[in-house]
Amino acid sequence: MRFRMLASALALAAAMAWAPGAPAVAQEPSTITGGFDVGPGGFQGNFNPLAATGGFTWLSLYFEPLVINDDKLESIVGDLASSYEVSADKLQYTFKLADAKWHDGQPFTSADVKFTIDTAKNGATGTVFAARLGAIASVETPDAKTAVLKLSAPNAGLLATLTQLMMLPQHALKDIPSDTLAKHEWWSKSPIGTGPYKFSRYVTDQYVELAANPDYRGGKPVTDRIINRYFANTAAAVAALRSGEIAFSYVEADDVATFQGNDGFKVIEGNSYVVNYLGFNQEVPLWKDVRVRQAVMHAINRDAIVQSLYKGAAEIANCGYVADHLLPSGLDAYAYDPEKAKQLLAEAGWDQINGSKPIPLLTYYNTPLASNVLAAVQAMLGQVGINVVPRAVDTPTYNATIYAQNPDWSQFPLVYAGLQNGPDPSAINIGLNEKQIPPAGANFLRIRMPEVTGAFDAALNETDDSKRAERYQAVCKAMNANLPWATMWVAKRYGVASAKLKDFVWIPAPAGGPFAAHPEKWALGN
Amino acid sequence: MLNFCLRRLAVGIGMLIALSLLIFILLRLAPGDPIDAYINPNVAMSQEEMAAVRARLGLDQPLPVQYLAWLGGALRGDLGFSLQRNGETVLGLVAQRIGPTLLLMGTGLAIAIVVGIGAGIIGAVRRNSATDLGLSVAAFLGISSPAFLTALVGLYVFSVLLRWAPSGGMLTPGAPFSLGDLASHLILPALLLSIGHAALIMRYMRASLLEVLNQDYVRSARAKGVKEFWVVVKHALRNALLPVVTLIGSTIGIAVGGAIFLESVFNWPGMGLLLVNAVETRDYPVIMGATLVVGACVILANLLTDIAYAAIDPRIQVA
Repeated sequence: MRFRMLASALALAAAMAWAPGAPAVAQEPSTITGGFDVGPGGFQGNFNPLAATGGFTWLSLYFEPLVINDDKLESIVGDLASSYEVSADKLQYTFKLADAKWHDGQPFTSADVKFTIDTAKNGATGTVFAARLGAIASVETPDAKTAVLKLSAPNAGLLATLTQLMMLPQHALKDIPSDTLAKHEWWSKSPIGTGPYKFSRYVTDQYVELAANPDYRGGKPVTDRIINRYFANTAAAVAALRSGEIAFSYVEADDVATFQGNDGFKVIEGNSYVVNYLGFNQEVPLWKDVRVRQAVMHAINRDAIVQSLYKGAAEIANCGYVADHLLPSGLDAYAYDPEKAKQLLAEAGWDQINGSKPIPLLTYYNTPLASNVLAAVQAMLGQVGINVVPRAVDTPTYNATIYAQNPDWSQFPLVYAGLQNGPDPSAINIGLNEKQIPPAGANFLRIRMPEVTGAFDAALNETDDSKRAERYQAVCKAMNANLPWATMWVAKRYGVASAKLKDFVWIPAPAGGPFAAHPEKWALGN
Repeated sequence: MLNFCLRRLAVGIGMLIALSLLIFILLRLAPGDPIDAYINPNVAMSQEEMAAVRARLGLDQPLPVQYLAWLGGALRGDLGFSLQRNGETVLGLVAQRIGPTLLLMGTGLAIAIVVGIGAGIIGAVRRNSATDLGLSVAAFLGISSPAFLTALVGLYVFSVLLRWAPSGGMLTPGAPFSLGDLASHLILPALLLSIGHAALIMRYMRASLLEVLNQDYVRSARAKGVKEFWVVVKHALRNALLPVVTLIGSTIGIAVGGAIFLESVFNWPGMGLLLVNAVETRDYPVIMGATLVVGACVILANLLTDIAYAAIDPRIQVA
């Protein structure tokens, strides 16, 4: 009897569910879920753009900068600034602001620009921009829609820095003390920006959800929600991508082959803008003689490594740059020539300098690809009599070793590392200029090469745009001749998107961009 | 019994303080601090900027001062703030995370106990049969398969290839909460967590039951004509369970380790993932707080094991 009643109830429920004219189920909001903070350009768990050294692909969905890179990283265009002018002496930048509103409806004004720049220059706020904005002497606000930046000295990298400086709402943040701003809960609970999406919620370590901003000045976004799912590593994100749970993720070069030729996915390839190098610690006596550094270059078959390990997805670097307009003629290509390497070492007296004693080769690269690359480098250098022993550590250990107050030079006589080399070519100055030796900068290898420093200084102080490329060619030439690093290559980076994603713009930009991705147009088709 | 519990609790608190000191020292001996973890090596930062952030976080204070400040707070129930997250207290983070971990561990262990004891009984009762052999082979495979392998293979086969279960997380992002959604995310990591424990429990159960089944009192029961089913269930099983209960108690500590790994692979938002993220980012207060709570749970589990032991076998006195 009881069974019969249960069966009747189930049948009734089924009939109601299938009955024509039954109330329609509310339409699910359209949602794009992706791993937008996966890989080297991402920064999971960071919501504060002032403290961001990555993650700009995601942050720029709800915050916006004054100016932004175009979607090819070839030029800088206006974003929250509808237009801008730079004075001939490069000491004044005038921004005309777009007619934008914060997500709470308040207007975006020049007071917000001044507040943002002043906050970003204040070290107490935990900002990573203080040094890079140091040249800004003042910010003037002649009217609500004009902001004028006055500089104490020309700064060729200022516009590039401003692309990563997300504008912040003065009215929402002015009452938060500077020293508590960095980790204030506002960033992950109720941030407001001016972007096409509004912050909706953060489920700790799981995902961040944004909702469409219907009042966006570029038009109401096509997709209702965008979700950024967090992953413990790239492999987990790739598994979720393959199983159809997410529509986009950064992927390692090794994974690309498994997506190529699959109609369900689109592989996106781009320049990593990170030059990989073997860095010679100048505080140890091993590398003082340029012939030893030249021998390292000649001993490594970079072409073979690029072809066999990177499958061709890297470009050989003979200085800090690979972009054509930054390469002068007459660079030494340091062709693979182990015999020449042996000869150079003999001339330099390598047997007396070090001989076959092991030399630690410190790196923070822990991927299988990097392990294979370093094994190849170890074997090739071993063939000419340089006995390096790779040691891969995690990033905190690496940073603690190279940035120690009293560094133990024997821990890192040689490093395998990378440094952002574009789109702004001045980015590598911090690692090579003698004036950037710690604590001032990040020249942790203590490179003191007058020709290199002089070339950088000339490029940084150049106010004539037409001569900038020429100045950086001189930097390239100085690097190629002096070899502060044994430059290796600039690798490609990859993202994979579902073929269902329409009008989706992503490039593997350093630190995640930002770039003009127009997320308001992104859509997920059938 | 009360005296025993109080004594064990007092010892436990002493152990927790010692544990916190040990973790504090080990953390400070490990290279790198929260600021070192924060810097992207590809996007350089000056040492002056790093020093300013270090001072703001109080990391420039002498180590004893830092430890005593932390301990003083901990004794008042204040485990401090995360150094890497936005305004989140360690206590709040731990409170958020302990539930998912207990759910995952509890489900995994429950599956392991049911499957392990059941398979152990079948193996012992049908000793040397094909079933026993099959179960023993499966148990050996389970014991000898490292957790990282079973987790990754399980993820690849059931999530990527077969798409039977989600590849990670506890709930579908953005979807309204439902028990079905939770169960679909839970089942795969819980099953994978249970494999090694079920295999171990099965081996112990089988061996223990075989030993008990050969005891004189069991033979007497059989001689009196008691049916074999009741001989096993009523006479042998209770005594055979004693070593298994001990094993399950000690398994809880190991299960924490397994859960930490599984939570990383499946992005399960529990204590394990919290700890792994905290170690990667050198988030000292979170590491200290989470370790303290995990340590307290293990100590408590061992105490409960002792009490359960006494409940199963009244001959055992815990006082």
